[in-house]
Amino acid sequence: MRVRVEFDSASLSGRMPVQQNSAAPQFLLAFAPLHRSALGIASGIVSGGLVSAATLALVIQGGYPEPNLGLLAQFFWGYSVSWRGVLVGFVWGWAAGFILGWGFAVVRNAVVWVWLTLIRSRAEMERYSDFLDHL
Amino acid sequence: MEPEEDRFDKAVILLNAKLLGIVLGFLSGTALFLATNFLVLKGGPHTGAHLSLLASFFPGYRVTFFGSIIGFCYGFLVGFLIGTVLGAVYNKIARA
Repeated sequence: MRVRVEFDSASLSGRMPVQQNSAAPQFLLAFAPLHRSALGIASGIVSGGLVSAATLALVIQGGYPEPNLGLLAQFFWGYSVSWRGVLVGFVWGWAAGFILGWGFAVVRNAVVWVWLTLIRSRAEMERYSDFLDHL
Repeated sequence: MEPEEDRFDKAVILLNAKLLGIVLGFLSGTALFLATNFLVLKGGPHTGAHLSLLASFFPGYRVTFFGSIIGFCYGFLVGFLIGTVLGAVYNKIARA
């Protein structure tokens, strides 16, 4: 789903005074969508790195108390607190982080899109509310 | 110069990595601080048996008031790192 931010470009360019036209960057800043893949990959790298680093810390320490990160094996198939688990944990952490980040961006973009659509519908309703009075 | 509509179509939000880091740092630090002090105030025979497992990752952390201050520092550090890396990687990919 590609969420597009649509504006009336005519009102933003020629017809408006110069100082009002400079509002365009602020509109972009407020309503532009999040990059879904970028947020997914970034979240994936962070969460994969966290699981990996935490596993590595336990492996290097040794003799860690129970319960420990090994419980993640309930969700991450093949994961264990071991050298192999560092790699497996990174892959699983990356996958989980990607889904969370990507999903967050999709939901956020969708909410902004719905919000913008509502604002535009209300503005159009107000604009044409006295339509019959002019007949 | 790029047409106005193209600019809007291609626009994506960029993140302020340092600001995101500071916000996440404060959030995670405060969460750990509050969680620790909640258990300290609650008391009981095995105070913070599970939360104290964090000492495996955060040396010096304990479920005490002083430990909650140490926990805040560790939480802030981890949150800051997460936010900064997240923001930096996101911006790099989004700009590409």
